[in-house]
Amino acid sequence: MLRNKKYLIWLSIGLLFVSCAKNLDQQPQSTANKDVIFSSADGLQLYANSFYDVLPGINDVFRTDANMSDYGARNAVPDYIRAGFYNSRQSSGWTWTALRNINYFISNNTNTKIAQNVRDNYTALARFFRAYFYYNMVQKFGDVPWISKPLSVTDTALLYGKRDPREKVMDSVLADLNYAIGHLSLSADASRSQITKWVAYGMKSRVCLFEGTYRKYDSATSSDATVKATANQWLQDAATAAKAVMDSAGFSLNNSNGLDLSYRNLFISTAPVTNEIMLSSVTSSSLAVLNDANWYYTSSTYGVRLNFTRDFINMYLNLDGSAFTDIPGHDTLTFWQETQGRDKRLQQTIRTPGYTRISSGSVIAGPPAFNYSYTGYQPIKWCLDDTYYDNGTLNTNSVSQMRYAEILLNYAEAQQELGLLSASDWTKTIGALRSRAGIANANTMPAVADPYIQTYFQRWNGGLADPVLLEIYRERSIELVLEGLRFSDLLRWGMGKLLLRPWNGFYVPALNQLMDLDQNGTPDVCFYQGTKPGNVSGVTYINVATTIGSTVNPQTLEHGTYGNILWLVNGNPGAVWNEWRAIYPIPYNDLQLNANLGQNPGWN
Amino acid sequence: MSKKLLTWLLLVCLGYTLHAQDRTGSVTGIVRNDMGDPLPGVTVLASNSETGLSSGTQTDSSGIFHFTKLPVKGRYSFTFSGVSYQQQTLTGYELKADASTSILVRMKNQAGALSEVVVVGYGTQKRANLTGAVAQVSGDVLDRRSIPNMTQGLQGMIPNLNLISTDGKPVSSATYNIRGGTSIGQGGNALVLIDGVQGDPALLNPNDVASVTVLKDAASAAIYGARAAFGVVLITTKTPSKGKSTITYSSNYSIKSPTYVPQIESNGYKYMMMFDSAWTGWNDYSQIPAGVNKTQPFSQAYLTEYAKRDADPSLPKVDVGSNGNYVYYGNTDWYAMLYKKHNAAIDQNLSISGSSGKASFYVTGRYYGQDGIFRYNSDDYHMYNLTAKGNIEVLPWLQIYNYTQYTSRDYHNPLNVGEGGGIWRNMADEAHPSSMLLNPDGTLTFSAAYTVGDLFYGKNGINLKNQVFRNTTGFVAKFMDNHLRIKGDITYQNTDSAIKQIRVQVPYSVTPGVIAYVGTTTNDLLMGNGKTQYLATNIYAEYENTFASDHYFKALVGYNYEQSVFNNFNAQRNGLVYANATDLSLALGQNITTNGGYEKWAILGGFGRLNYAYKDRYLVEFDGRYDGSSKFPSNQRYAFFPSVSAGWRLTKEAFWNVDPNTISDIKIRGSYGSLGNGSIASYAFQELFKISQSGRVINGVRPQTTSQPNVLPDGLTWEKATTKDLGLDISTLNNRLTFTGDIYTRITTNMFTVGKTLPAVFGTTVPKGNYADIKTNGWEASINWRDQFNIAGKPLHYSIGVWMSDYQSTITRYNNATKLLTDYYTGQKLGEIWGYTNDGFWTEADNPAVNGPTFQPIFKASNTGKWLPGDLKFKDIGGGSDGKPDGVVNNGNNTATNPGDMRIIGNSTPRYTYGISLNADYGGFFFGAFLQGVGKQNWWPGSEADVFWGQLNRPYNFLFKYQEGKIWSPQNPNTYFPRYRGYTAQNSQGELYNAQTRYLQNVAYIRLKNVQVGYNLPAAMVQRLKLTGIRIYVSGENLWTYSPMFKITKNIDPESIGKSDIILTGTTNNGNGNNYPILKSLTLGLNITL
Repeated sequence: MLRNKKYLIWLSIGLLFVSCAKNLDQQPQSTANKDVIFSSADGLQLYANSFYDVLPGINDVFRTDANMSDYGARNAVPDYIRAGFYNSRQSSGWTWTALRNINYFISNNTNTKIAQNVRDNYTALARFFRAYFYYNMVQKFGDVPWISKPLSVTDTALLYGKRDPREKVMDSVLADLNYAIGHLSLSADASRSQITKWVAYGMKSRVCLFEGTYRKYDSATSSDATVKATANQWLQDAATAAKAVMDSAGFSLNNSNGLDLSYRNLFISTAPVTNEIMLSSVTSSSLAVLNDANWYYTSSTYGVRLNFTRDFINMYLNLDGSAFTDIPGHDTLTFWQETQGRDKRLQQTIRTPGYTRISSGSVIAGPPAFNYSYTGYQPIKWCLDDTYYDNGTLNTNSVSQMRYAEILLNYAEAQQELGLLSASDWTKTIGALRSRAGIANANTMPAVADPYIQTYFQRWNGGLADPVLLEIYRERSIELVLEGLRFSDLLRWGMGKLLLRPWNGFYVPALNQLMDLDQNGTPDVCFYQGTKPGNVSGVTYINVATTIGSTVNPQTLEHGTYGNILWLVNGNPGAVWNEWRAIYPIPYNDLQLNANLGQNPGWN
Repeated sequence: MSKKLLTWLLLVCLGYTLHAQDRTGSVTGIVRNDMGDPLPGVTVLASNSETGLSSGTQTDSSGIFHFTKLPVKGRYSFTFSGVSYQQQTLTGYELKADASTSILVRMKNQAGALSEVVVVGYGTQKRANLTGAVAQVSGDVLDRRSIPNMTQGLQGMIPNLNLISTDGKPVSSATYNIRGGTSIGQGGNALVLIDGVQGDPALLNPNDVASVTVLKDAASAAIYGARAAFGVVLITTKTPSKGKSTITYSSNYSIKSPTYVPQIESNGYKYMMMFDSAWTGWNDYSQIPAGVNKTQPFSQAYLTEYAKRDADPSLPKVDVGSNGNYVYYGNTDWYAMLYKKHNAAIDQNLSISGSSGKASFYVTGRYYGQDGIFRYNSDDYHMYNLTAKGNIEVLPWLQIYNYTQYTSRDYHNPLNVGEGGGIWRNMADEAHPSSMLLNPDGTLTFSAAYTVGDLFYGKNGINLKNQVFRNTTGFVAKFMDNHLRIKGDITYQNTDSAIKQIRVQVPYSVTPGVIAYVGTTTNDLLMGNGKTQYLATNIYAEYENTFASDHYFKALVGYNYEQSVFNNFNAQRNGLVYANATDLSLALGQNITTNGGYEKWAILGGFGRLNYAYKDRYLVEFDGRYDGSSKFPSNQRYAFFPSVSAGWRLTKEAFWNVDPNTISDIKIRGSYGSLGNGSIASYAFQELFKISQSGRVINGVRPQTTSQPNVLPDGLTWEKATTKDLGLDISTLNNRLTFTGDIYTRITTNMFTVGKTLPAVFGTTVPKGNYADIKTNGWEASINWRDQFNIAGKPLHYSIGVWMSDYQSTITRYNNATKLLTDYYTGQKLGEIWGYTNDGFWTEADNPAVNGPTFQPIFKASNTGKWLPGDLKFKDIGGGSDGKPDGVVNNGNNTATNPGDMRIIGNSTPRYTYGISLNADYGGFFFGAFLQGVGKQNWWPGSEADVFWGQLNRPYNFLFKYQEGKIWSPQNPNTYFPRYRGYTAQNSQGELYNAQTRYLQNVAYIRLKNVQVGYNLPAAMVQRLKLTGIRIYVSGENLWTYSPMFKITKNIDPESIGKSDIILTGTTNNGNGNNYPILKSLTLGLNITL
């Protein structure tokens, strides 16, 4: 009996052990495995959604130019262009996670259970984003290694390899874009949030225009004759891609909101304006995806307080098509005077007289706010009028990443670079944009260069003579201002030194005058030196003495007691530009890990 | 749910009633200590050599034990044994039928407690026979204290059981660390077992605890295998006593308050002046701030007006400015608005224990409630415990038992929706003393809406609810005259953690009559439920016998299987219809997030232990366990972990002829063993495609998305912890003075850490592998003195115990060939702080404007890098060839081999942790005190530690009283803080950002953790009330603390310097020490036994 019991016990222990041992095989259930992902179109879609994070975030586009541009004054000179303030230890962005994510997808998207065209479509999407990823890397770092597969720990040749020449990498970028154009199945997307064939064409025009002009004008590449000789091929590709969008994609400039609003509506609409916007970071109140443009552009502490220089504002034409700078005495015109009768885009880009805001349902005056602006030219391009949006991430406007106007400008510039821009091309592009801005004689091509912009746009190796190209630059500057392309444009034009332009503001005729900027009867700002001359309610008093106490005052007037406002010119910590700054340094730590990368010129 | 449970419990209890036997007598007794106090929990064993009968019981909480229905035949002997008391046996009792025999026993204290029974893995052992490193305290260390959870009460009680508190939240429970450095790979804490089964001690009723045992070395922990690599904490709960039923009711009431509250300067004008000074200081005195962070505008005119208002208190504190907005001239002490002056806690405990024949039971219930410390939206805490245990002797050789525990705990954590995160950090950023809580019309100010105002509004918070239900059923079978025992048990434990989070926008007003809101994107409700179903079963056999009177053997063999299944469900939806909605049905928005969650693991193991003792003189023990774990790939799934330990009792040698009253016992112990660390994440060796929701709107939705899985590690294997331990136990002066000490080395090899850093083009995290080793050396020692003397004919008993422990860990292998200081490196002592050496302040004579930028180029005192007198000067001590000064202060290559001018300036590991306990009693009075502390520890406040730096962190943070008068100025050139410049502690190039000697804090401390005084009412008086005992007492927690840091500041409790509010914000840290305060308390208590 006892013996039996013993056997029973040992038997049951044995059974217990065997049955429990099976439980040591465990599979995760709240995550998917490779087979699930790559064996259905839904799985591919699930994975492909992660590619979109390669695109700029919803708050990135309207900040890019604020970080580095020639036309904006800000709270401080960017460290990147201050001598001694930037080196390989400050550099960042040598990050390759997104690329591996794409390459992993491409190498595993081979399941023949899925139809070839479906797989190709997703591979096309992956390759579109790979092209976009590399386009950004090449812009920033110049030569970069081309990697087209997910690396393993043992791929030492690639892990520790040298960088590939940018020319070779850009060839692969172009191949990726061509594949995407050929295989993306989506040709229309009403939400403007997905990559379609036409977005790929548009991206191709942007990338090729960049590469073509960069090879032509950058100080380093343009001195290499073999590289420079390849520029035209890229410019032709840029023109062809832009033309494809113009001819077949069904986009058009938005003209449906009249001269005063058609332009601005593109940037403040909740839903992307579908006839013109091609790709957008879409907001959604119901999905709690909002941006913080108002906070960024109105807070005295949150953003960098980007505001335009007078030198840039001067570029806006008069409505009659003449240059503002041709007006005799234009440089002593006050803010109110200079904002009258200008290109309609000016009032849709900055606060001008007549701009009003809404506060709790009532209309209030909206003069430039000097607790934000240093120069008086305060941007409103991305801002909503209701003050409700000013404190926090509340903006409901979708943020455009690519729009038809850019394609027109890409086309015009590429054609002109090739010497092929015809009068009808002008009318379709620059002419159309100026017409929307209410400018008369928009379709007339210029025959002589406007001396003002000719002085403004200087390449590293000298000035420009082509009046048409100069007008295209003017047009691009105004039309695409604050859309995140400026730094990249300056580099490809060989115009990095424009970043050193002084930061000036509007004209102040005299000290201690109460200035009513919007001519609405209530004074807004008063400039003084030393002791505040009064305390009128609603007036911002600004001390423009050369020193305050023992320290240098960063905000002064050009002629001491009158003249244009100057910001950080007096006592400016000193900006510097060298042509090699067009390429960022490889971050110190990454160079430590792989010395074969080599540092970019100038940064050693 | 709970009603059902109660009914069920009653049924269980009733089921234990059994039939009686003929011709029996009963025995009742009371066991007291030599001070006359009744002793609960003493094991009483009745045995009869004629009938072979043997029966055991335990004394109840009044020290009373009962045996009923003992057969009237032969002579009985009774053996009494209890923790810390000498075992004694009374013999020769003859029982009379239907009569009761009384026994009165006085147990003798045994300081060395050599005969004390110590709980070890799967059994018990006499302390005298122990060969491993084991420490044990009885549950009374938790008595008469007001502790929200048991872990908080256990802190400092056991040498080298390191419970480092994170903050004072009632739900905060330290991780259990034994003997310091464990693994920098998988990590690893001690395995905590409650009655042999994994559980959360923070959810246990502290009154149920009978003893806490810590198995420190590999030899004693080995029986638990892979989970025990870093030691085991065994918590044993009280068991049913036999005999007459007793009912004990105890209750206490406490008043609590924070130990230390940051003392802010509440004068708004002073605050504003210093804000301006700090802000413009950072901006080279070249700009004027436009606002005090987001919520208050600033101008020079405002400051001028403020001066006027400050000088004349009769002027109004709120105005409406020219732009129609409120202008504030406040003097708000925000911490006074945040915390109550006092909060109360109440603890009610009822326990019933008794038996009927062969069945016995133990039922306790407890309620602990603690009011929150927040004045508004109070963070109330409630905990309910119910325990029911029953034993039944089914057959003379078979006993079965059932233990059931139920715990429910809830806590309300208020939230700030403005920016999220902990309230303290939000206050630092937006609670400007110059503002105030309410506008004249009763609406919140903008500053308030981001901070205390959200609490005042009172709608936002997270409710955390935890429920544990656990049931263990087991048996003990005894064979062969009790030489062979077979035990088995099976436990089911269900743990539910529910979370409900409500976030609605908070209204405020900047312009009279106009309401705006913060937190506009967070109008949502989150509900979540996590459920862990845990199953554990053990079956083991133990054989114990002594042969030829000299050879003692004990062998244990057993089998263990455990599995745990975790399921989670979370749903969040926005668009609450109205601000008070509390159910998902009323959330109508389109932003819906749902999450699942699943994890299952299983382990099984076969284990064995063999003890052998020769003449009680030479002791040996072998342990081994063969373990399998589902967390490893199939080829690595099983592993065997052996260990050995031995002891030599010198005093048992024939040659030893010292008077036992002088030296009664000396034992030298040694052990060696190695254990695998199986505490790795489940599924670590599988490619996982994690699904998450995209932050982008794509085609009208925020789609789900997945991306590349991590690269799998090759050849994953077990981390291994090998421990060597040498111990010494001495008992002298008639056991009045005892000593126990151990030194040890623990080497953790093959730690699962990051692989060699690869160039970034690899594109993902480098796969981890078994790449690192660490070595921890340490010791612990405790010394106890226990004696008594007579005053006025009555004895005064007293005892003093002191313990101390220390450890240090060194990395002995790591993938960091260049010894970069941004990562671990070979030779690194854990906790070491690298920093610069200060050389005072720059003076005019040093010409800082010219020399500063070249001498210390990596630092900045202002935005543009200009240096002025009063800024910090660093010392050039290295960096040149052969380590000589090179004229520049920098960090070299930032490597341990070339650290430039950095040196190791301190260590953050708590060293020389100690405890001191004092106990005395006289007549009915008793006194106890427990001090605890750390002998040596450094703290670098670090970036964002605004509670230390104040406005030097961010200019709009608080100005602290302790800083006033300690800030450099031309008139005050020899002081603590440099020229007042904001952001210097927060900006990564700021002069106060990097660790440096001048501001390194010494956070060693000593703390009066608990002190108590009480009185047992005289027996005569108690009996008149028909009661067995009444005790009243006063007890205090954390009443006094001293730390060298207090010479600088008392803003921070030295025990709360860690990461900020980790319960709420997880591992993201927004400022060291920005925490829920540690509480001190005064408790009045009463204990009644019926």
